[in-house]
Amino acid sequence: MTQPARVLGPVPSPASARAVMERLAAQLGRAVQGKPEEVRRVVTCVVAGGHLLLEDMPGVGKTTLAEALARACALSFSRIQFTADLLPADILGAQVFHAQTATFSFRPGPLFRQLVLADELNRAPPRTQSALLEGMAQGQVSLDGQTHALPSPFTVVATQNPVDFSGTYPLPDSQLDRFLVRLSLGHPAPDVEAHLLTTRGAASPLPSVEAVTGPEELASLREFAQDVRLDAAVADYVVRLARATREHGDLERGASTRAVLALGSAARAQALWEGRDFVTPGDVRAMLVPCWAHRVLLRSAVQGVSARDEAAHLVEEIARKVAAPR
Amino acid sequence: MRHPLRLRLLLRDLAAGSAFGAMAVSGQLPLWALGVFFTALVLALFNVRLVARHSRLSALGLLVAAVLLGLQLTSGAMNAVVAACSFAGLIAAQRMLSTPDAAAEGQTHLTGLLMVAGGAALSGDMTYALCLIAFGVLASLALALGVVEAAVPDGEPVPVRAVMRPLSAGLAFAVTGAVAFFVLFPRLNWAMVGPRSAPGLGAVSSAGYSNTVRLGGAGTIKGNPRVVLRALLTPDPGTDALDAYWVGRTYDTFDGLEWSNVVGAQQTERQITLRPASDTLLHQRIELLPAYGARTLIALETPSRLGNAMAHTPTGTRTSPVQLQGGGEVRFTVTAPSYTYEAYSLPPDARAGLSSALLEAEKDQLLALPTRLDPRLAQLAARVLQGEKEPLAAARRLASFLQRDYAYTLDQEGTSADPLSDFLFVRKAGHCEHFATALTLMLRTQGIGARLATGFFGGTRVDGGYLVRAGDAHAWTHVLVPGRGFVTVDATPPSHRSSQGPVLLEKLLAIYEAVEARWRNSVVDYSFRDQFELASALVRPPRPPPGARESAAPSRLPPPRAWATAAVIAFLVWRVGRLASRWTGRAPVLEATRFLDRVDAALQKAHVPRFEHETLEDLTTRLAREGHPLALALTPLTRRYLEARFGGRALREGEAEHLLATLRRALDAEAERRAAKPASQTSPTARAS
Repeated sequence: MTQPARVLGPVPSPASARAVMERLAAQLGRAVQGKPEEVRRVVTCVVAGGHLLLEDMPGVGKTTLAEALARACALSFSRIQFTADLLPADILGAQVFHAQTATFSFRPGPLFRQLVLADELNRAPPRTQSALLEGMAQGQVSLDGQTHALPSPFTVVATQNPVDFSGTYPLPDSQLDRFLVRLSLGHPAPDVEAHLLTTRGAASPLPSVEAVTGPEELASLREFAQDVRLDAAVADYVVRLARATREHGDLERGASTRAVLALGSAARAQALWEGRDFVTPGDVRAMLVPCWAHRVLLRSAVQGVSARDEAAHLVEEIARKVAAPR
Repeated sequence: MRHPLRLRLLLRDLAAGSAFGAMAVSGQLPLWALGVFFTALVLALFNVRLVARHSRLSALGLLVAAVLLGLQLTSGAMNAVVAACSFAGLIAAQRMLSTPDAAAEGQTHLTGLLMVAGGAALSGDMTYALCLIAFGVLASLALALGVVEAAVPDGEPVPVRAVMRPLSAGLAFAVTGAVAFFVLFPRLNWAMVGPRSAPGLGAVSSAGYSNTVRLGGAGTIKGNPRVVLRALLTPDPGTDALDAYWVGRTYDTFDGLEWSNVVGAQQTERQITLRPASDTLLHQRIELLPAYGARTLIALETPSRLGNAMAHTPTGTRTSPVQLQGGGEVRFTVTAPSYTYEAYSLPPDARAGLSSALLEAEKDQLLALPTRLDPRLAQLAARVLQGEKEPLAAARRLASFLQRDYAYTLDQEGTSADPLSDFLFVRKAGHCEHFATALTLMLRTQGIGARLATGFFGGTRVDGGYLVRAGDAHAWTHVLVPGRGFVTVDATPPSHRSSQGPVLLEKLLAIYEAVEARWRNSVVDYSFRDQFELASALVRPPRPPPGARESAAPSRLPPPRAWATAAVIAFLVWRVGRLASRWTGRAPVLEATRFLDRVDAALQKAHVPRFEHETLEDLTTRLAREGHPLALALTPLTRRYLEARFGGRALREGEAEHLLATLRRALDAEAERRAAKPASQTSPTARAS
């Protein structure tokens, strides 16, 4: 795979950052058609340096999206299909005994890639799921007392089927909290589906996706996004939103401090879409539901898709109630 | 030149109004001055700068007014202080109505200061203090705004809120501090609401008790509705209007102009007995208020014993011995703003065996006539009496003659060599002192002993007691009836004996008096002992009634009202805390936010459809998505606002105005476009969500 030309330059500007993001979105749009908003969210999440959780019905293009992302960013990629009998060692790797030298050496698992697709994450038992935790949080894996660094940038794109499907384990809250953004693609619009039928048929759209950026550029883009200004008034707004979720009567648990930080970095990346180097309350609101809807715990007993919708609805309601800074 | 800030002008004019009010509360300013000033104030508040274009003409008018005031002053028709105050009010009125430039500002504030000083010279009671505080607060705000306004370059908005908020907080703090000082150290502040000696009595005087009775003088006596005396009577008569005579002193010698007594001070005691006691004495517990301004004890006619006087001085309450003066006058030996004492009086119909106790010299004086008495006086008395020799019947006949044929007036006739014959034969009108003097002297010409008594007539029932106003001051006649002593006969027409204030004024004053009484009792007179007593009353269990049995196990817990008080205090503290946290928790108002306010106002004025809680950012995004023509104008403006507010790049000088002008143009164009379009094609409208 050839290295794409760098657009960002040695001194990135909001405009050049936006150009990179637009190009990424254009490539992803080739793989997932008719979902421009969702595609932009995915790019936002990647630029913010977060992990992505795609929650959807099977067959709407979750896997395609993840693979397209790896291709467009020229990242090393692996796909782990989570099943009920998958073990942590299958992901992380294991110590292998070499008979000739009578020593053990570490054989890295499929997690040691820049972009890891954890497909159908909730089909694995909790023990295996939590094997991902350290890698997602610290970018390293500890095994038998040894620490192994994961490649950089390291991004997990997990997909999961709605929880009410049979044979699934709901993700633990600690795991959910480590995903920066949760998205669902949903079925494409009828005209898009018809278009797919006539033009593509069964052929994969992936070969048409070109690499438009590389790991280095992605890393500097992330750095630049971290430096986007977040005014004290906006920070206060985020904190007030978090407090509102914590005090809300229908929520068992509101946004955590990690959720507050996550919203901050997501809003910073979102600001780049407008070519801005500062965050506005609008950026915060744009990322609020993708960032927080999966992190709050409902008091009511609803599960699955309806719980997801209700959480999103409650977070939206809170966003309406908490006054934005003027 | 920039347009002056409306709020500042309002504050300035209100400050001038308060300063004028400080003078007006004295009730001594002429009515026309009041009218001119308040008309000017109302006009100025409605931003009608009437003399802006005719400043020279109005200055000429001021000059004329100055000359007129000077004439009145030299003719003795007006007091110098009142004239100066009236003139200051006129200047302030003229300045308020002229163009609001820097010079007019300064002059308005300066005349405000002058008027406050004038108010201090004229009045000085609680209302004055309130006016003074109002002037201080309003003028400070106006001045500070003026300074900020002058410092802000042309075309930039004046940060009104940013200035007013800390300034108002500071002023509130200062005023609260002053009030707290007042409450904490009540005695130190006594002098502030303490006695005010009657203002330099020129021709204008207000009714009240005075130490001399002198006929003559020019001008008008003003009814004064201040309360001078409060009394609790035992047994309580229970009537609403007491209509009784409260006597202060009597006079036996008249020199043709002024009344006096032949006998001077006699004795100084804790308690003085004037008349033999009877078994049905009327007990009075009397409080003399600062408005009284004299040292003479007042009691219901006829006083028998006076004493147990307490003088409330700035340094505390102490007992005051009383001294018997001539004419039955009893005086406090200690000078204080207010006093309390007890008095016993004989019931109205009791006979006092007094005549035997009179000295011979005093008896002679009861028939003494001034050396230069108009002979027509005796002729008139003889004609009216037609041989009636019985003292009481003669006095009553003369009194009804005077009441019938003479008019009551508070206008004084001016200085005259013989005011009495002036009253009887020329003007045929006068006030109570004229009536009483005429009756007394006419009786004396007929060989009937009589003397003049002064004090108050009336008594309005308030809170189970009675109060007497300064305007109730009165003079009447004591006729010596052999075997009965002195009998009161009043020659003044009955409807003019007590004060004649307008009903509305009396009502307003009743409210004011009630407030002031509460103020005096709970703030000014509030001592540490009162504080301690209040606190202990709240905590101490209520005493069982004397007849009740002792309960088996007396509770050691505080009584319910202690708990209730604690709960109320806790609630108040909580509320104040909440309020304070809300106040301090507010985000500071920024330049960009003020810009946003103006944009919002412009959009609202142009009826741009908008959802509830939709920020400018959201609105612009939505309009851009809808392809609305306004989005073109709004996008750069919104971006600039966001940059200024959240991006740390403040608006440059004049940039806000430029952006707003662009927006207004776009809004106008949009309005025209819509007007040109048929009504069916309306732009997307807002849902009220």
